[in-house]
Amino acid sequence: MSCNTAMTLPVNCDDDVVSNGADTEVQVISYRDALHRTMHEALRLHDSVIIIGQGVDDHKGIFGSTIGLAQEFGLDRVMDTPLAEEGMTGVAIGAALNGLYPIQTHIRADFSLLAMNQIINLAAKYKYMFGGRFEVPMLIRMIVGRSWGQGAQHSQSLQSLFAHIPGLKVVMPSSSQTILDTYPSVIAEYRGPVISFEHRLMYDLNFQIDPLLTKQKRDPFGSYVVRQGNDITIVATSIMVLEAMRVADHLAKVAGIQCEVIDLHCVSNPDWNLMMQSVEKTGRLVVADTSWREYGVCAEVCRVVAERNPGCLRKPVVSLAMQPAPCPTAKSLEDMFYPDLRQFANAIATLVHGNEEHGIQLPDTQSMADVYKRFKGPF
Amino acid sequence: MNSPEIFERLFFQALRIRLVEERIIELYPSDAIQSPVHLSIGQEAVAVGACEPLTNQDLVFCTYRSHAFYLAKGGNLNEMFAELYGKITGCARGKAGSMHLAAPEVGLMGASAVVASTIPHAVGAALAAKRLNKKQVIVGVFGDGATEEGVYHESLNFAALHRLPVVFLCENNGLAVHSYQKARQSFEISGHAQSYGLPVHHITEGYDFVKVAGVMSEIIDHVRTDQAPAFVEIQTCRYKEHVGPGEDFSCGYRNIEEFQEWKQHDPLEQFPKLVETFRPMILKEIDAAIDFAERSPFPSIEELLCDVV
Ligand SMILES: Cc1ncc(C[n+]2csc(CCOP(=O)(O)OP(=O)(O)O)c2C)c(N)n1
Ligand SMILES: [Mg+2]
Repeated sequence: MSCNTAMTLPVNCDDDVVSNGADTEVQVISYRDALHRTMHEALRLHDSVIIIGQGVDDHKGIFGSTIGLAQEFGLDRVMDTPLAEEGMTGVAIGAALNGLYPIQTHIRADFSLLAMNQIINLAAKYKYMFGGRFEVPMLIRMIVGRSWGQGAQHSQSLQSLFAHIPGLKVVMPSSSQTILDTYPSVIAEYRGPVISFEHRLMYDLNFQIDPLLTKQKRDPFGSYVVRQGNDITIVATSIMVLEAMRVADHLAKVAGIQCEVIDLHCVSNPDWNLMMQSVEKTGRLVVADTSWREYGVCAEVCRVVAERNPGCLRKPVVSLAMQPAPCPTAKSLEDMFYPDLRQFANAIATLVHGNEEHGIQLPDTQSMADVYKRFKGPF
Repeated sequence: MNSPEIFERLFFQALRIRLVEERIIELYPSDAIQSPVHLSIGQEAVAVGACEPLTNQDLVFCTYRSHAFYLAKGGNLNEMFAELYGKITGCARGKAGSMHLAAPEVGLMGASAVVASTIPHAVGAALAAKRLNKKQVIVGVFGDGATEEGVYHESLNFAALHRLPVVFLCENNGLAVHSYQKARQSFEISGHAQSYGLPVHHITEGYDFVKVAGVMSEIIDHVRTDQAPAFVEIQTCRYKEHVGPGEDFSCGYRNIEEFQEWKQHDPLEQFPKLVETFRPMILKEIDAAIDFAERSPFPSIEELLCDVV
């Protein structure tokens, strides 16, 4: 991966601040530090905010995103919790109903499955079911645990389960920029339940920040064009946005193919007009999601295109997603379970060139975890 | 607490709830109320006694069986009937029906049809109350069946651990749908609750609203002053079928003697003269509420997608 100058891409220069060659310094911040900054600011700016979750006050602080906050703001605002996912989600709802803004964490999104009753039956419905008389302002941070070897129950990306439910907003920040743009405005201004899927593999990545974008105050529940191109549209979520940018760079270089990349970001309420404009322009579509194909983001994107303007497609849609199995642990299997860059590039080259003998050079097949994982160790 | 004025005031409230529900029974065959009703008839004294010491700032979280708590907490009767009728003037604009009554203006914070699911809300509201120094007491109401759910235990643990100003109120009618407690529970509710290290009270005379109000008043004073949780189990008796307007003693699963014995103690059964004194006034209010509901419009299409997010 090269040091990319595109607006919010990760930079490859590990912990160094990257200079853009000009006099001004490019701002660089890691996904983790962006999270930490938003958590700190939330506590500092809003007395009503509490952070509540297993281990939020410990020395690891949710992969560093809450480190030191308990010391600074007190254990009653940065609260460790018993192992009680449903109960604690209910506690957060009750606290929200009585004046607090809870930020709840699940160090693995998989654990939120124990809280489905509270999230789906209660938080999502509290406003509607009572005719608008209550609000449940809260943010639930869920971490997709994919790195390597996390196996079937520590790696799932469950966005479609929640995005299916009216009443919930679901976002998937794909960069430090999207975190810095989304969290502060959601916490300050939005009065309902929001679920954010953060991706473990991105925590250690450094991203460039575009102060101009920040100034624009982008819709925290929007979708964003992160690369422009005329040949094909890639609609991606979370870390697949980074993969899409890698593949787009490669294909531009070796084959002159110009990909347009859309970060879907708010998967519960994407900007479908933005997506349709792009697909109508390119006539070709690849969907790259972090989860399974079936009944998920891939399926939903296809539904919308099929309902709105199926005639604009010059080729069938390609979906890149996890294989239809639980996630295996062995690395040899895991590398096959997730889509890789080679498949991604091949799919695009085939769509653009019309056949599989496109002759376009494909990137090497280093697994995604190997590319992005910056940490050694178990978690 | 034993003055005749208090007895009469609480009697009036309990009778009002019973007459409201008896009117629901009368109306039910007309299908004007197209929503399942879980009646509180027989259990009115619990709600009336429990709400007596609460202010409008104190919050109550309920279950699908909450007509009694809605009224005892001060919810508006017109809005209740309108809600049952599915009208726009209902307390939730017709989106709730019988199972999700709410009256935030008097601290009735909603009711859920998923057993035990509002117990942690009471705890969370108490967490907020304590943090924001609101001096509120929060009451979480649930049935005996709810104590079998995991979230009940999670809630007690957290409230006791953090000493939150919440009262756990178990309305024990001995039944969950058609199952007696002994068919469901290997533990004893009050004894088990004690293991969380909070004060536990057990009221066996759940028909006696004055007694319930007296004990609740002490509990609530303590919770407010000490900012720490308490638990109270109140025995009561469901006179009707689990859901719906009828009785189901003929179905074979229930013991009618228990019910008859309970009625011997029920003031609403034992003081017919007092009933007759109050009845005309209450019926007038009920008639007016039904008239209000009937005259109100149904929600229209704009309402369908309103307040989703
Ligand atoms: C989680 C859940 N499981 C099952 C049901 C079906 N159900 C509705 S009421 C009820 C009985 C609950 O009994 P209890 O808590 O004692 O309350 P009561 O109805 O006696 O007031 C059951 C099992 C439900 N609504 N929610
Ligand atoms: Mg019961």
